[in-house]
Amino acid sequence: MSSAIQAEGLSKRYGDTLALDSLDLTVAEGEVYGYLGPNGAGKTTTIRLLLGLHRPSAGRAEVFGIDAWRDPVSAHRRLAYVAGEPFLWPALTSAETFEFMATLHGGADVIYRDLLIERFKLDTEKKVRALSKGNRQKVQLVAALASRADLLILDEPTSGLDPLMEMAFRESVHEAKERGQTVFLSSHILSEVEALCDRVGILREGRLVDEGTLDALRHLSAHTVEITFEDEPPELGPLAGVEVTRAGARALRCEVSGPIGPLIAALANARVVALTSREPSLEEIFLHHYDHGSSGSG
Amino acid sequence: MAAARAIARRAFADGRARTASFALLFGLVALVQVTGYEHSFPTLKDRLDFAHSFGDNKAVRLFYGVPHDLLSVGGYVSWRVGGILTIFAAMWGLLAAVRALRTEEEAGRQELVLAGAVRRGTAFVAPMVAVAAGVVVLWTAALAGLLVGGLAAGESAYLALATVSPALVFVGLGALASQLAASRRVALEIGTAALGLALALRIVADTTSSLEFLRWVTPLGWSEEMRAFTGSQPGVLVLPLLASVALLVVAAAIARGRDVGSGLIATRDSRAPRLGLLSSATAQALRGERGSLAGWLVGIGFFAVVFGLLSDTFATAHLSAAIKEELKKLGGATIVTPSGALGFYFLFFVLAIGLFCCAQIAALRREESDQRLETLLSLPVGRVRWLGGRLALAVLGSVALALAAGLLAWAGAATQGVGVSLPDMLGAGANCLPAALLFLAIGMLAFAVVPRASAGITYGLVSVAFVWELFGALLDVPAWTLDLSPFHHVGLVPAQPFKATAAAVMLALAAAAALGAIRIFRRRDVVGA
Ligand SMILES: Nc1ncnc2c1ncn2[C@@H]1O[C@H](COP(=O)(O)OP(=O)(O)OP(=O)(O)O)[C@@H](O)[C@H]1O
Ligand SMILES: [Mg+2]
Repeated sequence: MSSAIQAEGLSKRYGDTLALDSLDLTVAEGEVYGYLGPNGAGKTTTIRLLLGLHRPSAGRAEVFGIDAWRDPVSAHRRLAYVAGEPFLWPALTSAETFEFMATLHGGADVIYRDLLIERFKLDTEKKVRALSKGNRQKVQLVAALASRADLLILDEPTSGLDPLMEMAFRESVHEAKERGQTVFLSSHILSEVEALCDRVGILREGRLVDEGTLDALRHLSAHTVEITFEDEPPELGPLAGVEVTRAGARALRCEVSGPIGPLIAALANARVVALTSREPSLEEIFLHHYDHGSSGSG
Repeated sequence: MAAARAIARRAFADGRARTASFALLFGLVALVQVTGYEHSFPTLKDRLDFAHSFGDNKAVRLFYGVPHDLLSVGGYVSWRVGGILTIFAAMWGLLAAVRALRTEEEAGRQELVLAGAVRRGTAFVAPMVAVAAGVVVLWTAALAGLLVGGLAAGESAYLALATVSPALVFVGLGALASQLAASRRVALEIGTAALGLALALRIVADTTSSLEFLRWVTPLGWSEEMRAFTGSQPGVLVLPLLASVALLVVAAAIARGRDVGSGLIATRDSRAPRLGLLSSATAQALRGERGSLAGWLVGIGFFAVVFGLLSDTFATAHLSAAIKEELKKLGGATIVTPSGALGFYFLFFVLAIGLFCCAQIAALRREESDQRLETLLSLPVGRVRWLGGRLALAVLGSVALALAAGLLAWAGAATQGVGVSLPDMLGAGANCLPAALLFLAIGMLAFAVVPRASAGITYGLVSVAFVWELFGALLDVPAWTLDLSPFHHVGLVPAQPFKATAAAVMLALAAAAALGAIRIFRRRDVVGA
């Protein structure tokens, strides 16, 4: 399978700050890739390098096999970008903005655009300067989605959108995926990433600390097992890969990061009333990386 | 109170680069006038000659106003300093007020301030206090220049006051324009139009004896009527003070009553799409800039007509050797003929078109710092095409301005029966281009290399080069230092021959700088604010 995005050893240094540290990244065609990381992790930096807006300090980035820095125009013919903040032309109305961006892009799916305008409830006769921030964000989104570009690069596209519009956005990304478009989605909204993305990468201080499908990430991370006993919980003693904490008068909570067998064996003679096991939420995986990330564990 | 002080300090710091460069200009111009006069007209006879031939000359009055005493240093300096620096003072006042009020508000920072425990009144008054402090800085600088030149302290202080008085009025106008318009751009357009009107009125009053009373309706005329060193009329000072206070009071009242972020002039925010000039990034840039281009055309066109009308007013008699020497230093050995006068005036169009080029660089940079450039370049728009398109627009705009200046000056001169041909005057216009385009290209280079400082560098360079050409010769500095200014290499067409070699060199340098700029811009990061 050919890749929509390919980065090799991609690094960017701003003065003393190493904003991106030797990133290796592959996003396959047709994939929806979630890009996560705390503030200042280097997500926007990555995107600027993918767009050829900033010059890599080392390494290279390719979009559909086209070098992002050397030949940005060819690369941009195949992608559409939604910036984290909507920087548009204040004196143009939305309709004029769509027309302008479509002309520069070399065309847009006008029928789909009308559908999106309807879906996102945009007043296209209003000048951009009179639009609220969320509405300006929607103008960007509609322009990008209507371009039907092979790759959508979205940097926190839903910041400022209300929940209804968030649903409209998800629907649109699903449609893009169905059409075989690739989506690179940088986001802080974990439920959104969980709902949309096939694969997730977690960035921390310029390094990719974890990557994989959501399922794979879950398997690699700790399960939470909660056990309720008839009366006073037993001493479980030290168990490899299990962290035990008290969770009330008659309950224990265990964080199991390896196989669950040893814990089950240790419970064999205990009088267990109830046992629940659940996979970690993306939020827990995420927080785990943010807290312990400096060790670089994956 | 602490909040007010913090706001004022912030506002003062925001404007300090501009205030410092204007202060430098004020100090230097004041000083150079004193030493230049003493140097050029050492004896009473020289001064009498000068007064005789220049005192009543309308073309000279156009630039400097009406002289009242050209026999003393003070009288001469008062005339020259007042004539030029009052315009700069007004410009500074306008820029400072709009920067402190409307720019802050447009950027949304005013909203932040008002969301804190700050009253609307404070949010208006505190930045105005900072601007007033800036006026004091300018006054001090002008005074220092005069004192270093050796003029009497009391009269110098009064002349410096007369010189900065238009700043007070235009601070008020800028504050009012900031209430009327919702954008910095429109506020500056309103203020610039007012300044243009004030200058036009002063010129008409100073050159037409039947309309002298018009001097009393323009702040630039009030400054003249204060007559420092030539029979002071301190009572006139009441006029700019009253005008300033009245404007500020009205502005403050509007500021208190309106929504933050809005202006009083209702703007229509909805309309059916207009799809003209959206076919490329360059076309869209023209769409955005065409209003300001029209403003430049009107301004330059007005002065071209006036210059044409006044081109034959130099008296040919009574020119002593010293006067001729002085004129030669100004590059105007033949200024006594109409075509000579026109050639000299067109040096100002080199300046004006150079400033137009500065404005283009500032617009380029604003597109980048507002991050609209990032939006544009993430579409399939190449950097070279974008910058090349902007360069082409600036060049075509400059050419349009140059030719309009030539055409309209010819028309003005023709009504006076002055025998200059249209091709000659179009040539005079075109002759402005090599130097102006050299500034444009240097500005582009600055934009490529040091984007954040590029607008300031370009404006600074044009102003310094012009002031140096105008006054450097009066200082007996080595010739090569004068050669540094591109203005020094502009032949005074139509009176003097076109300096083909110099023009070719400047154009070649401009081309090299522009190519270098494009190369460097291709390789740099796009940097926001
Ligand atoms: N133009 C720049 N000049 C200097 N430093 C920069 C620049 N852009 C980003 N940085 C630095 O690089 C690091 C990564 O920034 P980046 O904007 O990529 O973070 P991010 O992951 O997008 O964060 P957020 O979630 O807040 O948007 C930060 O430390 C930032 O300060
Ligand atoms: Mg970011």
